[in-house]
Parts: sequence; structure tokens; C-alpha cells
Amino acid sequence: MAVNPQPIIRLTNVCKSYGDHQILKDINLELEAGKFYTLLGPSGCGKTTILRTIAGFTDVTAGQVYFDGQVINGLPANQRQVNTVFQDYALFPHMTVAENVAFGLKLHKVPKDEIESRVQSALALVQLPDFGDREISEISGGQQQRVAIARALVMRPKVLLLDEPLSALDAKLRKDMQYELRELQQQLGITFLFVTHDQEEALAMSDEIFVMKAGEILQGGSPVDIYDEPINHFVANFIGESNIIPGKMIQDYEVEFVGKRFECADGGMHPNEAVEVVLRPEDLDIVKADQGKLVVTVDSQLFRGNYFEIVAYDNDHNEWLVHSTNPADEGEPIGLTFDPQDIHVMRLNESEAAFDARLEQYDDEDAD
Amino acid sequence: MQRKQRLSRNTAYFVPYVLWIALFVIAPVILLIYQSFFNIDGQFTLANYQTYFSSNTYLMMTLNSVWYAFLITLATLLISYPTAYLLNATKHPQLWLLLIIMPTWINLLLKAYAFIGIFSQAGIANQFLSFIGIGPQQLLFTKFSFIFVAAYIQIPFMVLPIYNSISELNASYVNASRDLGATNWQTFSRVIFPLTLPGVKAGVQAVFIPSLSLFMLTRLIGGNKVITLGTAIEEHFLTTMNWGMGSTIGVVLIIAMVIIMWLTGGRKRRSGKGLTK
Amino acid sequence: MKRLQFKWRYLYLWFVFIILYAPIVFLIVYSFSQGSTMTNFHGFTWAHYQELFADSRLIAIFLDTLLVAFLSSIIATAVGALGALGINNVTRPLTKNTLLSLNNILMVSPDVIIGASFLIFFTALKIPLGFGSVLLSHIAFSIPIVVLMVLPKIQEMSTSLLDAAADLGANNWQLLSQVVIPYIMPGIFSGFFMALTYSLDDFAVTFFVTGNGFSTLSVEIYSRARQGINLEINALSGLMFLMALVLVVGYYFINQYSSRHRRAATRGRRK
Repeated sequence: MAVNPQPIIRLTNVCKSYGDHQILKDINLELEAGKFYTLLGPSGCGKTTILRTIAGFTDVTAGQVYFDGQVINGLPANQRQVNTVFQDYALFPHMTVAENVAFGLKLHKVPKDEIESRVQSALALVQLPDFGDREISEISGGQQQRVAIARALVMRPKVLLLDEPLSALDAKLRKDMQYELRELQQQLGITFLFVTHDQEEALAMSDEIFVMKAGEILQGGSPVDIYDEPINHFVANFIGESNIIPGKMIQDYEVEFVGKRFECADGGMHPNEAVEVVLRPEDLDIVKADQGKLVVTVDSQLFRGNYFEIVAYDNDHNEWLVHSTNPADEGEPIGLTFDPQDIHVMRLNESEAAFDARLEQYDDEDAD
Repeated sequence: MQRKQRLSRNTAYFVPYVLWIALFVIAPVILLIYQSFFNIDGQFTLANYQTYFSSNTYLMMTLNSVWYAFLITLATLLISYPTAYLLNATKHPQLWLLLIIMPTWINLLLKAYAFIGIFSQAGIANQFLSFIGIGPQQLLFTKFSFIFVAAYIQIPFMVLPIYNSISELNASYVNASRDLGATNWQTFSRVIFPLTLPGVKAGVQAVFIPSLSLFMLTRLIGGNKVITLGTAIEEHFLTTMNWGMGSTIGVVLIIAMVIIMWLTGGRKRRSGKGLTK
Repeated sequence: MKRLQFKWRYLYLWFVFIILYAPIVFLIVYSFSQGSTMTNFHGFTWAHYQELFADSRLIAIFLDTLLVAFLSSIIATAVGALGALGINNVTRPLTKNTLLSLNNILMVSPDVIIGASFLIFFTALKIPLGFGSVLLSHIAFSIPIVVLMVLPKIQEMSTSLLDAAADLGANNWQLLSQVVIPYIMPGIFSGFFMALTYSLDDFAVTFFVTGNGFSTLSVEIYSRARQGINLEINALSGLMFLMALVLVVGYYFINQYSSRHRRAATRGRRK
């Protein structure tokens, strides 16, 4: 696994504040070379600030930023080997497409014919080979997006920072660009650090996601891990749709909610500890009322194309969201079934380190 | 649709404005051009233009006027650009801007009059020069004082458009430039300045044209050491009463104005240029 | 490093600021000086102000200047606001652009050209030089700025607003008086204030078209300044500074009021 033990980017205990306002609280982060990372969180959570500290647009208040093992705090942006794709693209309106892409190379006094060929291939890479002479105002938003990527990639950065680059595109184009960005990253083999508030985007593209809230990284991991094993209420809610129900951990592998006890796959907690239980809507199956592990009453439903989205309530007035291929009858009771491993139990206020340690411990027990 | 038709049928309210255009915009210009073809005795002639273009005095005066307008504009620009730039970075730019613009609300003549006192033999400027050991100089009625006061008066008109274009400048352009490896100076010369050029052009336009025609400053401050196109026009209209010649110079001034507006106007960038300029 | 830069920035701005205000402060300070020159301060006195208020010629000129300023601004605002409405209603782009270009001619023309051409114009029409010609000139050069201040407000007004009013049964006159005019009022006020300052500030145009009998403050100051220092002018500048201050504050508050108004309107719309 550890082919390259040296992370390309490392942040240790990074804090950032403006006056009394803390934007980043003790951020620790390691990025391996050649992977696609995403910083995911609602607006104002500090994700863009992390990007800016790596790019060199803002100084950190405390902590260290490492690039390739070297501390780069205080190093000006123009001397860092990272490049940025900006949210609003920031393409220079007084230059043509090719002049924009050539801008950084000219500053570095790259020979003329090399500039020409590198600009051509960068534009070809983003599938705009014949757009060099166009004015920025003449091309569409999606094309500007590609030019911005070409302008950053032509510098051959070791790390490419992308600040919500797809947010200004329409839905269809955004989907296409997700594929292309992922492909581009794998083709070039460099590190991408992508910032977004769109969880679907993050899940679709990333090798690893860092979920952020209020200046802190709540959880880092692969998209599947984060989806299946969210660390807390916020992450469970932010990533995908979920039913989060208060419950009580009776003992290892047994949890109680809605007044019933269920077998589950989690453990390592105190007996009778108050917990939250996550059940994804697509893991719930509808059966007849008398056959279900739980009985709920259907309140409303919406047809979503490939499934029905059903909202139902149990006797404790918990709301249940169910995705089903078959419609249900409004006002009628239905039964819900699910497998023990579909239940994910979250402790209240558990730190990421404690969460990881506990997971490892009872995973080992399972293996025994 | 219906509303448009109804409104456009009733155009009586538009009459005064159209009359104004006809009487006070078009007619005077035509009359000025017409007048330039008459000599002092009221006979139709091309002599005014002949005199103008064959006389060294007139041509030198024109060149001088353009030269001084250039100097005034340059001085104003050199002071105003940094001012606008720094203004934009302050905490309360609107307040600073208001403070910069405020002096334009004070009557021009009063400001010129103030400098008569400041630059006089025993005035405060000379007191200062004596204090730092240079000794009193003749300041009033010199070309320097003319340029100084003209620039002083026009600084706000240069700061305003430049400030506007700088404040419209997106901060991410600067970040992008830094990100691609530009130093502070490269960022300024290749990104910030070219992008704020429209503001600079608007400022140059606002300063250069009046500088060609200022006439009370040449009299009050310049002591007739400098003769601008404006001074010459005033002289011909109000002193020698040679309206024909005055109008001819007026036509020249209008042409100069059109040229400057053409030079500083927003011409479209040529596209299809190669990538290595 | 950063701190130092910070200081330099403010030092430069303060320097420019001081240069801009020094002459004005200088003028006003000496209006309180005993003696008759602007060289050394000879102790405080109100004498120049007393002299000023006893100078019936100057007082008359002052009142004339105000009269011309207010009359010309009011008329220019009316003509200009209606003109802006008219320009806005022109549908052909060519006509519209031509009108706008013609509108801007007097904005960019040097004062001497305006003055000289108006002088020829008045002479050709045998209009006597004096109060009338000065008033007409001031109206003429104030109209374009009113148009430029009002037009953006009109364009900002959405057509659905007019359609809604028409839909609710407003006729043309009601549309104008109860919807359009109230909406563009801030622009009209800005235009009026600008016209006022243009008029009060003008020297060159007035100088050309005023003839012998009539004078405004600018022209009077010019002829007195050519004769040298007279601290009565300093006293006058003190008064005019006060007047300018009142205008600035007035203009500022009207702007504040209208922007608050606009914000409230947009907030309301969002709800």
C-alpha cells in the first residue's frame, strides 16, 4: 500500500482566524500524491480557506503547511508548485484563450516554441484544440471552465486545487465535467484537491472525501466508508438521505429504537448508551404490515422517476423516508424490513480518532 | 404592446428636449463653424484657416497648448492612479472617495484665487522654501504654477473613473495571476493595469480636453506665460473681437477633442491575434 | 512588513488629502485675518465678513447667482427628466444612440467652445446679453447631466411595473404621475443637485455670454482676483464653502435615503 509514504501536502494543526472569528480550528490533513481528494461541506465551513492556505492566498494563524516535506508557510503564491482553478474561472478578459493559457509560461520565461506547443496540448487536453484565438467573452461558461483548467494544468503543477469549479454550470454539463475531471486526474496522475458543497459530486469523483463543518474536519475517508459509516448526525444527514432515529445500545450487536430491539453489526459502546441509528431509505423494504420489523403509516409519496419516495411515520412520530420501486397507499400502515448490517449506530459526540479506533477494534473481533 | 403605442402617440412632453438639442446643441456648433468662414469685417473668406495653418504663432500656440495639456494630464495621472489604488484598499473607500471629491464642490475661481495667495512672493509656499533653505522663488505667473494648479483642480476627475475601474476589478484575477507565478509587479503591469485601462482612458479624457481650454488659469496663475487654445479663443472673442478667427481656433479645438475621444474611446480589441504578441 | 506597507498607504492618501484641502483651509483661515494680505496671520477679526455684508454690489450678485442657479436647475430638471423619458421610449436603436450622443456633446465640450458658440447664437438671434442669456445658457448646459442621472433610474424600472399599473386601470397621465415619477424621483433629485452645482460652479460660459450689466459670483471673483488679493473674497469663500457643505450633505442624505428605499424595496420583493 505505502508506495509513497511522503504526503505531497500536509497540514498540521492549522488554525485561521479573523479577529475573534475562527475560520479553521486545528486542521490536520494529509494528501497522497496522485489521488483525487474532495473537501465537502456547507458554505462557510472553511473548505475554501483550506484551499487558499495551500495556494498561498492567505496566511495561517497557527500550524504548518507542508509541500513535499517542506514547510511552505509564508511562501508567496507565485512561488508555490500548486495551481488553482477558480470558482469564477478568473480568466483575464483582456487576453485571448491562448494568451490566458500561455500567461504563466511567459512569466517563467519558457521558450516561445515550447510555450506554443504546451498551450496547444493543454487546450487539446481539455478538448478545445481550435479555441486559442477566441476572446474570453466569445466562449460559453463550460468552455471557460475548460480554459481555466488548461491554464492551471499547463503549469504542470504537482497539485491542482479546484474551488467549486462546477458550481456555475448547468446540471447536464456538470455531470459531464465530473466524468472528465475524474478521467483527467487519472490520466495525469497528479493530486487534485476539489472543493464543493455538492455531496453527489464528491461521492462521484473522489478517492477520499473530507467532510467539514464550522472550521473542522468531521470525517475523512473513501466515499463508500463515509456513506456507509457516517460518524455523526451531521455527516449522515449531509451525505445522501437518511433516517436518523434516537436509540439505545443494549449491548454489543443489539440496539433498541422505536421501542423494539434489533440485531445490528456495531459494538464497542457502553451498555445502555444513548445513540443515534441511521437507516438509508434505499435499505428499507416494504412488506405487509404484519410481516414488518417495524410498522409505519404512509403519509405521502412522490414519484421520482426510477423510484417512489415515501414519507411515513411510526408510533413515536419519527419520520421515515423510504425509497421503493412500488407505490404505497397513503394513510395505510405498511411494514418495513431491513438487514442487521443496514443499521448503522452512531455514538453522540464521538471524535474521528475514537471512531476509527473502535471500528478497528470490533472489526478485529469480527475477524476472530 | 398596447402601452407602448399609447405612449408614443403622445410625444408633446418630448418637445422641449428636442428643441434644446436643436437650438443649443446643433445650432451653436453649426454657427461656430459658419462664423469661422468670416473675417473681422463680415466677409466670407477662407483666410482664417489660411492664417491659422501658415502662421508659426498659431501653430506653435497649438502645439504648446497640447504639450501643456499633456503635462497636466500626466501629472494628474501620476498622482491619481496610486491614490485610486490605495483608496480601494482602505476600510472605508466610499468615505475617502467622498473626501477626494468634496473639493470639486468649491468654486473653481476660489481655488485658483487661493493659489494666488499661496504662491505669492511672501506667501506660504515661499515661506516653506525659505524654511528648508532654498530661499524664495518666483512661483506665481510661471509655467510650473500653471501646471501645478491645473493638475490640482483636476485630480478628483481623474481619481473617480480610475477608482471605479479598480473597484470593479475582480480580486480573483489578482489571485489567478499570483497563482500562475506572477510577482507583484508583473501582476500589476500585466493584469491590473490593462484591466483598469478603461478608467485611465476616461480620466485622461476628462482631464485632457479641459486642459486644452482652461483660460482663466493661464491669466490668474500662469500670468500669460502659457497660452492655450482656450486663452486664444477668449482673446479673439472678447478682446480683439475677431470672432471669425476665434471660431476657427474653436473648430481646431473641437477637432482636437474628437481626436482625443477617438484615442481614448473604447475601441474593440482585435481578435484573431496570434498567441505570442 | 505588512504593518509598514499599511502605514505608507495611509501616509500617501493623507498627503493627497492635505494637498487637496490645504488651499481651501488656507482661504478660509485668512478670511479671519486682520490686515489685507494672505501672507501672515495678523490676529482674528470678523471685519472682512462685515465688509462683505456691507458690500451691496456683491450681495446683489450673490442673490443673482442663486436666482440663476435655482431657476436654471428647476427648468433643466424638468426638461431633462422628460427628455430622459422620451429617450427611453425611443425604440429604434439608431435614433436612441444618436440622441444620447447629441445629449453628451455639451458634457464633453470645453467650456470656451460652449461659451463662444452660445455667444454667436445669442447674437445671431439678437437676444440681449445679460440675465436672460446667462439663464438660458445655464439651463442648456445643465440639461444633459439631468438626463444622465435620470435615465438609469428609468431603465432600472421594470416594464412589468408599468404593465401592472396599466393592468390596474391607470391611464397615461396616472402612469406618469403616480408610478413613473415617484420611482425615478431619486434620479431627478440627483440631477437637480448636479445642475445646481454646475450652475454655481460655472465661470467660462457665463463669462462669454454675460455682457456688461449682469454678473455672477464666479465672474466677479475673477475680475477682483485679477486685481490681486482682497480678503473680502476670502470671506466670500468661507460662505461659499458653507454652502457647498450644505449641498454635499443634502446630496449625501438624499442618496442614502434612496438607497435605503431601494434596499427595502428589494427586500420586499424577495419576500
